[in-house]
Amino acid sequence: MSAVQASGPVAGSSGGGVRLRARRRRNWGGWALGAFVVVYLVWSLAPVLIAFLFSFNAGSSRSVWQGFSLQWWTGPASVFNDPEYRDAILHSLLLAGLAVAVTVPLGVSLSIFLGRWRGIASRPASMLATLPLVVPELVLALAMFFLVTKLLHFISLGTPAQVIGQVTYILPLVIVITRGRLASIPSGFEEAALDLGASPLGAFRLVLVPLLAPAILASAIVAFAVSIDDFVITQYMSSTSATQSVPMVIYNATRGSASPALNASAMVMGVATIVLCAAGYAVYRVVNRREEIVLPQASTTEGALGAALGEGVW
Amino acid sequence: MYPRRQLATLGLPGTIWVGLFVATALYALVAIAVGGIDPILLSPVPTWNPLHWSFGNLQSVWSALRPFNGPDWVVFERTVIYIAIAMAGCIVIGYPVAYFVAVRARRTKGLVLALFVAPFLVSYMLRMLAWVGLLSPGGWVDSVLGSLGVVGSQYNWLSGRSFVVVLALLYGWVPYFILPLYAALARFDLRFLEASKDLGANPVQTFFKVTLPLSRQGIYAGMVVVALPMFGDFFTAQLVSGTSSTAMVGTLINTYAQSQTDQTLAAASAVWLVAFLALLLAPYLRSSARATAEVAG
Amino acid sequence: MTGMAGGQVEIVELTKRFDDVVAVDQINLHIPSGEFFSIVGPSGCGKTTTLRMVAGFEEPSAGRIVLDGVDMQHTPPYRRNVNTVFQAYMIFPHLNVYDNVAFGLRRRHESKEEVRRRVSEILELVQLGQLSRRKPSQLSGGQQQRVALARALVLNPAVLLLDEPLGALDAKLRKQLQVELKTLQQQVGITFIYVTHDQEEALTMSDRVAVMNNGHVEQVAPPREVYDQPATRFVADFLGVSNLIHALAESAEAEGVRLGLGDFHISALAGDTAARGAVTCLIRPERVRLEPYEATGANRLPGIVERVVFLGHSVQILVRLAVGENVTALISNTGQDVPYTQGDAVQVHLPAEALRVLGSAAGQPPAKTADTDPAAAGAHATTAAGPVPAAETTIGEQ
Repeated sequence: MSAVQASGPVAGSSGGGVRLRARRRRNWGGWALGAFVVVYLVWSLAPVLIAFLFSFNAGSSRSVWQGFSLQWWTGPASVFNDPEYRDAILHSLLLAGLAVAVTVPLGVSLSIFLGRWRGIASRPASMLATLPLVVPELVLALAMFFLVTKLLHFISLGTPAQVIGQVTYILPLVIVITRGRLASIPSGFEEAALDLGASPLGAFRLVLVPLLAPAILASAIVAFAVSIDDFVITQYMSSTSATQSVPMVIYNATRGSASPALNASAMVMGVATIVLCAAGYAVYRVVNRREEIVLPQASTTEGALGAALGEGVW
Repeated sequence: MYPRRQLATLGLPGTIWVGLFVATALYALVAIAVGGIDPILLSPVPTWNPLHWSFGNLQSVWSALRPFNGPDWVVFERTVIYIAIAMAGCIVIGYPVAYFVAVRARRTKGLVLALFVAPFLVSYMLRMLAWVGLLSPGGWVDSVLGSLGVVGSQYNWLSGRSFVVVLALLYGWVPYFILPLYAALARFDLRFLEASKDLGANPVQTFFKVTLPLSRQGIYAGMVVVALPMFGDFFTAQLVSGTSSTAMVGTLINTYAQSQTDQTLAAASAVWLVAFLALLLAPYLRSSARATAEVAG
Repeated sequence: MTGMAGGQVEIVELTKRFDDVVAVDQINLHIPSGEFFSIVGPSGCGKTTTLRMVAGFEEPSAGRIVLDGVDMQHTPPYRRNVNTVFQAYMIFPHLNVYDNVAFGLRRRHESKEEVRRRVSEILELVQLGQLSRRKPSQLSGGQQQRVALARALVLNPAVLLLDEPLGALDAKLRKQLQVELKTLQQQVGITFIYVTHDQEEALTMSDRVAVMNNGHVEQVAPPREVYDQPATRFVADFLGVSNLIHALAESAEAEGVRLGLGDFHISALAGDTAARGAVTCLIRPERVRLEPYEATGANRLPGIVERVVFLGHSVQILVRLAVGENVTALISNTGQDVPYTQGDAVQVHLPAEALRVLGSAAGQPPAKTADTDPAAAGAHATTAAGPVPAAETTIGEQ
């Protein structure tokens, strides 16, 4: 880890002859920090990797290693054969798909409205949309449970309620991501489009939406990841065992004597999420470079400050 | 610039959605909390009209949680202690990591970032499942520490151990603490450090006088991101402890919610919890607003 | 490529209010077809707001904008035959140069061949022919500016609006592009309305210049006139450097006015020679002559040299007059040494024909309509009212 130079918070990039002396004297600080981070990463990831490992256990214990076997992956005892696990995996994927399909358009359109509307009418909507970020998920789950069972009876518990709950929970994240990107798109671009003869709809379609593409993509990725892992709201909005998600199954089965197929089911979701997010991130990098917003850097402090502030935005 | 009507149509679905599923839902929560129970069905009845609100449920929850006196006070006290310790742990562990990735490891940043984003992509439940596996009798932690003689041979890690709950909370939430802190530190202009060194400060002084104060907002943001879910947590304690001796406020609310007749108490407890959190968050929101004003000028 | 015969712009009593701030206050401008017309003024004077109203991005609070006889009030920007080059160019980052320039043509549903022909033509004109496949992030500042120009010009607008287009470029590039823009405008023949805060830029490029201050138009005239015969103190101060001298206008003389300065008397032949009482006079530094202390003659005032500054192309000499005023003289660098140093006593010669009376020293009323003081009507070149272009009556030529 050669990124370490002098110890303490000194920028490692600015070199110089005088620094070399300080470098050798103070190296230990930087190394200690690096070692600390390595320890942290091991502590953070090892338990998960071990849990994945146990899905290949030859015995039926989830904590005592009894040899290597694929029995929980293929064959009669496999996770895909067990209706409970299989249904939960499918249900989780269904919910995630629906959550992304609803939250992204809903959130992006609301963000554009909040970002381009000149007037104060948008404040309440903005505050309400981000409220789920400042209350514990349990409170929101409880509130929506009551809403659905005591008032909006036409929404039944189960998949419909679960989707609605997840969408409401994920919406603020989509809005934060999109509004961040939107803030870095000067409305001058849309004005230029109008100036050149595009109607407002044309400006929206041909200029704003393409420039928002990275945020839309990022929102979809985040929505998927959050939905797959969601527990509290999905639990409270569920009805029968047919509406169980994988986190719910894990919660119910962990303290019991479930077989390592439980680990396998968790691993399926984990790997699926990682693969999807990695692929999504790769696409995101491409799209982001394509839509890189470039404005003339005025040779004034204004331009430099603007560039500096812009870097903090998604 | 866009015709007002078209823009309003764009915002309409979202506004209706949050009006319904956030505002009305929270109002429904309040309506249950101030409502009564149907005598026949024994299910909670929401009271929508503020004029008919009854505060009995709120009062009984308050008296149960009354500071130092109420029977459930210990639950609240315990929750605050757990969260405080877990939060301290998050700061002690999370700050150096965030600092390292944001300030020092600019070159290998991609790899380290990927590695510490990975926990987000693996569900919270799975990460708890992993620890249950390790701490179960015969599990790797249990057998290693048992053979080292650190604990007795029949030591049950997963039943009623407070420190296990705290460690689980810490393990679960420290990545969520690191992320906003990293974002704040990544924006940190390294030239401040150069200026400080230029003015004669040694690295320790620079850290305490320059880096730490300027990253304060990031630390607060991380604390908020992490504290809020912990106050609503019931599943962590359930998974790694499972007894009422480690019950948290969230456990209380969840238990009430499972029984139909107690749902009014669940709602009332939730209302009190939100009120408490609002009080707790107020200074953060104020300081965050002030910080934004300072930067925006 | 020839411009269209149209492009005449009338701005009538145009006003814009933002809450209680009046950004543009009842201005009147007449811009004939094919003119390079600049609006120049300090930040916040309302020039950009005016331009945006002509483009259609702001709605006037009052007044009218008439393009070739048609009132633009209910016409949105995408239906006006007016195009804009924005200060930050606003080239679409997700489209390459070709697609950027073709954008407007495609909105009009032109055929593919037509689009290709016109885009290639305009890219050749702005010397970007080789770069049509590049993305904006791969272009330099000057190249981006040309794309913005091409994108607007390819649509053959009646009027081209330019909002400080050279602001983000370094000085050398700016000078080069100024010449190119002027040549281009003459080639293409389209009316250009050019907004800038750089007075030198405005003077270099324009057929006529409008000087704006605080929402008002102080003077509209060709560059030479607005520089040599500024109508108000603000214009005098804003364009170039000026020496402002306070004196007492006493009586009429042969062709001008006799001024009293302390114990001295001098004559002024330019400006508001009918004014009497306390007045402010203007003389440009390059017209001030320094002579040895023993020199005699009219319009000479004694003084002491305070400072000599070498500017490269010229030398600036600050003199404190015996009567108390400070005067700056500018002497071109002819390769010979300047014979004065700090502390020298000199005679400052203010040639009468270069000395311009600006009227009452109590400040200039912002000239907005034709109903100005009849006594001053002869001299003030304020054409804020009505369509009277360059034919102001002014006294005192070179």
